[in-house]
Parts: sequence; structure tokens; C-alpha cells
Amino acid sequence: MNPLRALSLTRRVQLALLVGALVAGMVLPHVVSSFILRLVTLALVSALFAMSVDLMAGYAGLVTIGQAGILGTAMYGVGYVASKTDGGIALQITVGFVAGMTAAVIFGLMAMRSSGVYFILITIAQGMIIWGLASLLVNITGAENGLPGIRRPVNIESGFRYYYATLVVVLICSLALFVVVRSPFGHALKGLRGSETRVRMLGHNSAFLKFYMFLVSGFFATVAGILLVYLNEFVNPTDVILGASALPVLMAILGGIGTLIGPFIGAFVIVFLRNWVSLRVDRWQTLMGLTFILVVLFAREGLVGAVSAWWHKRIDGRDGGVSSVLHEPEKREAVLSESG
Amino acid sequence: MEHSAERVVDTVKADRRRVLIITALVAIPLIAWTLTQMSLLSFGTQILNGLSFGAVLFFLASGFTMIFGLLRIANLAHGGFYLMGGYVGITTTLVTGQFWLGLIAGGLAIMVLGVFAERVLLRRIRGLVKPEVLLTIGLTFVIGDLSLAMWGGDPRTVPLPGYLKGPIQIGDSFFYPKYRVFVLGLAIVLAAILFYIDRRTKIGAIVRAGVDDRETVAALGININAVFTIAFMFGAFIAGMSGVIGAGFLALLPGQDFEILLFALVVVIIGGLGSLEGAVLGAAVVGLIDSFAKALVPELSFFTLFAPMAIILMIRPNGLLGKAP
Repeated sequence: MNPLRALSLTRRVQLALLVGALVAGMVLPHVVSSFILRLVTLALVSALFAMSVDLMAGYAGLVTIGQAGILGTAMYGVGYVASKTDGGIALQITVGFVAGMTAAVIFGLMAMRSSGVYFILITIAQGMIIWGLASLLVNITGAENGLPGIRRPVNIESGFRYYYATLVVVLICSLALFVVVRSPFGHALKGLRGSETRVRMLGHNSAFLKFYMFLVSGFFATVAGILLVYLNEFVNPTDVILGASALPVLMAILGGIGTLIGPFIGAFVIVFLRNWVSLRVDRWQTLMGLTFILVVLFAREGLVGAVSAWWHKRIDGRDGGVSSVLHEPEKREAVLSESG
Repeated sequence: MEHSAERVVDTVKADRRRVLIITALVAIPLIAWTLTQMSLLSFGTQILNGLSFGAVLFFLASGFTMIFGLLRIANLAHGGFYLMGGYVGITTTLVTGQFWLGLIAGGLAIMVLGVFAERVLLRRIRGLVKPEVLLTIGLTFVIGDLSLAMWGGDPRTVPLPGYLKGPIQIGDSFFYPKYRVFVLGLAIVLAAILFYIDRRTKIGAIVRAGVDDRETVAALGININAVFTIAFMFGAFIAGMSGVIGAGFLALLPGQDFEILLFALVVVIIGGLGSLEGAVLGAAVVGLIDSFAKALVPELSFFTLFAPMAIILMIRPNGLLGKAP
């Protein structure tokens, strides 16, 4: 008996697409130019970064616009050791990891008691302050000149090998995230999105839950930062500007927020769109802003939601698809245990 | 009644916090003074620098906090409004030779932009908090980039009229730029007007009622949508004007939209979203901290802003004078 037959048609198509994407990912470096391969590598790293944002924005319903602060701190950690000391790769990665996670801990402690708009404003301020420090602490960050002299590990130095290394890391992280969002912790996060009061009634401490969310999401942002700094072999304050924090949010919404595949698709679309536009006109920021506005106004469920709705209508005749996580109206909740 | 008892407790707590902020206002300069033994003259200069920067922040934060209080929209495009308003003001002043015309043109241009944003874009997603914030971020990118395309990347300042140029003399040996004193005065006038409108006029009563319960206000026969639009127009007008005012002593350049937004955010995070009083006190605190930090530890001037914000957020997630969500 073929085990595939036990699956629904939808599942089988999804499985086929996944296998197809994996095979494409494996053979890609042999087919495309090194320039395109670099873009694909960047898209993979961006996808991981966007997934870390989506864990907060899409699953817990807490939109962060400061995640580049964590990514960037990890990048600066690696860059500082590589550029200012004679530490080896192991030390570089360790310092980068510790730096990124420290930022995640501090961000988490600051934001864990807030929600809604306040959460957004706090994360913006956090990201911007990392940018301010990056631009002002000349001795550590090199300010606008950034930190040069970062080199990839010798055995994965070529763009070809670095692509495969990135692919493996991103796949492992995606798998880990897949497990996380299906774990009790992931369900508790989704509970936060629905009703924070209810999560508290069920015995969770919602502040701690948000703190852990920062740790988990920060872990993946840190890994993305380490991958990115070796991909670019450079870091400067443009890696931590507000736009760098807003971009993964845009990727997640464009692809389909509250799904793991959405950020992936969004990342590829944005990275290639940005490259295509930047080669022609110097107005990428305008286009990014317009995309933001249009996606928020019209493409609420993202690309994944649109495709999924079309598919279900055709195959099952039901009005399925992903409901928009972002556009759920804010619920007015009775405050149960807030005291001054 | 239990409800009114809670009210009293709330008022007492708010009073205590108010005292806390005012203490901070006095303590920051004093601590800075004892730490550095700066001369009385440079100490006075730092205080005035801080308060005049705080004045610009107040212009920005007052509109931001009013729009939030009434419409529940965190309008992140406020930084973009500031930048583009400043540029429009500079160009108008250069063309007409009149600073006052520049001031009004900057405000009006952004008012038009604000009405467009509110009526055409934001109205489609009314009440959806997160999309509203994201939309205003997208708007900021567009405004900032188009400003860069039109006015270039060089720092620009607004040409000041003769009567606002040069220093003002206080006592025998204390000289201070006239313009900064003028800005400080303007902020005090604006604060007085806003407090008067808020506490003493009918429109103020409608706005305050709208902040508390917009459904009931609408049910009383007041066109709440028109009130929203007027509030947004007014907030955008002040933001555009504050760009022109700020361009008198802080050069305008690309990227400043987000930088000034950060300062305004810290002001409302410290003061509390939706509170006019919080905007006044928060702006003064942030202005003073920034001024003394820039003089004492220039490399850490962002961190000194970060630390008090972090501590306040851990104790009171809604800011010192903000209402519970």
C-alpha cells in the first residue's frame, strides 16, 4: 500500500512542492551564475531572519520593528573579533552569538510587559538605539566606515560552498522553527495573539512567555546575523537602520504572515525585486514604502494566503485559505491583574 | 462607589508620578553639574540647549500623542512629516524671503499630506492597530526617499530673519542664540494654547470624550469622523511646522526623519501615549538628558536615552502618565 495515498491531495501537492524546492536548492549552484547564487544565498538568510520576526509578529501577534538590532549586534560581535583582534573563527562566532543573545535578553526584559502599539514603539526604539550606538561608538564599530577585514571560514570561502553551508543551516533552523510552532510553547504564543487574558487564565505567565519568545526568536535572528556578516564580509550601521528591521516584517506580510513558508517566499520576492529595481532606478526606498502600503491595504493574506484560497476554492470548493493574522481587530480586554 | 474610589487612587498615583518627573527635571542638571564641575555659564547654556531641543520635541510629540489619544493611531510618519515640512519651509523661505511664510507653508503642505493619509489610506483600515502602524512606516519610507530625490542629501538649514539671528545678552557675560530662546517661547505659547483648547473649549471636551469613548461621542450626534480628520490635520500641521522650526538650529538631512521620530517616541514612551502633560514633561526630560549627555559623554548619547526608557518601561509599561490600555 502506498503511504502517499493516505494523504489528502493538498498534502501531496505540498509535499511535491517541498521536494521540488529542495532538489532545486541542491542543483541550483550548478545552473545559475555566481551573481544569482549570491542573491539566492542572501534570500535564504533573509528568509531565516523574516521567520524569526514572523514567530513574534505572525504567531504571537506582537509586531517587532527592531529585530535588526539583534541581527546587527551579532554581526558586530563577529566583526569586532575579526577586525580588531586576531581571534579565530570559533571565537568570532562565539562572541557574535553571545552578543546577539545578550541583545535579545535586554530587548525581551524591556518589552515583555507591553503589547499592541506600545510593543511596536518599544521595539522601534530598541532597534534605533542599536543603530545610534553603531554610528557613535567609533572605537568599537568603526562608525560609518564599518568593520572591514571579516573573512569567511577557509573551507567554505567560495560563494559556491558558502551557499551550501547557508542552505544547510537555514534548513535546520526552519525545521527547528517548525517544531517550535507546533510545541506547547508555540501554541501558547498563538494564544497570546488570540487573547492575552485567556493565556493568563490558563496559568501561563504572559510576561515570561514573551521573554522566552524573545530568546527563541532572537536565537534565529542571531544565527541569521552570523550568516549575513560572513556573506557580506562587512558590517556597518546600514545593517541596523530602521529599514533593515522593517524589511523582514514586509517579507513576512508579503509572503503570508503566521506561516513559515510565507517569510521564505516573501524573502525571495523582495531580494530579487530589490536587486531588479536597484539596477534600474535609485528609488528602492520609495518602492519599498509603496509595497508596504499596498500589501497592508490590499494583499492582507499575502501570497501564500492568495494561492491557498485559490487552491481550496478550486479543489475542495470550500472557502479556505489563511485568515489574516495581522488584520484581526484589537480586542478590548478586561485587565485582570494590573496594578500600578 | 468602588469605581470612584479607583479613580481617586489613580489620581493620587498620577500625582506621585508627576512629582517624580519634575524631580527628574531638577535632578538631571544638578547631577550633571556635580559630576563635572562645569562653570555656571556653560551649565546655563546646557540647560537652555536641552530645553530648546525639548521644545522642538514637544511640537512633534504633542501632535503624535493627540493623534494617538483620539484615533488610536501611532503615526510613525510623524518623523517624515517633520523632515518634509522642514524642506518645504526652507524652499518657501528662500523663494519669498519670509521666514513666517516658510513656517506656514511647511505646516500647510504637511496638513494636505496628512489629510490624504488619513482620508484615503488610513480610513480603509480604521481600528486595525498593527496595519495602521505598518502603513505609516511605509509612508515614511516614501516621504523620506522622495524628499531625498527633491532636496538632495546635503544638510540644509532655514535662513533666519535678521531679528532672530545672533545672540541675546543676559547679564554681563552670558550670551545665548536668540533663535533658540524664540523656539522655547513658541513652545510655551503652543503648550498654553493646547492646554486651553483641551480643558476649556467645546472642541477640547469633544476630543477628551472621544479619547475615552468614541462610540458614545458618535451616538451623541457628533460626527466623530470629522473630529478625527481635524485632529489629524492639526497634528500634521504642527509636525510640518516643527520641521521648519527645527531646521533653524538642527540641520535637515536624509535619515533625520527616523532620528527625530526616535526622540519623539522616547518622549511619549516616558510621558505616556495620549497624554498632553506627559508630552510636555517628557520632552523637557529627554531634551535635558540629550543636552547634558552630548556635553559629557558624546559617544554614549544614545545610551543615556535608552537607559531611563528601559527602567521606566520595566516598572510602568505604559509610560509614567499613560493610561492603562
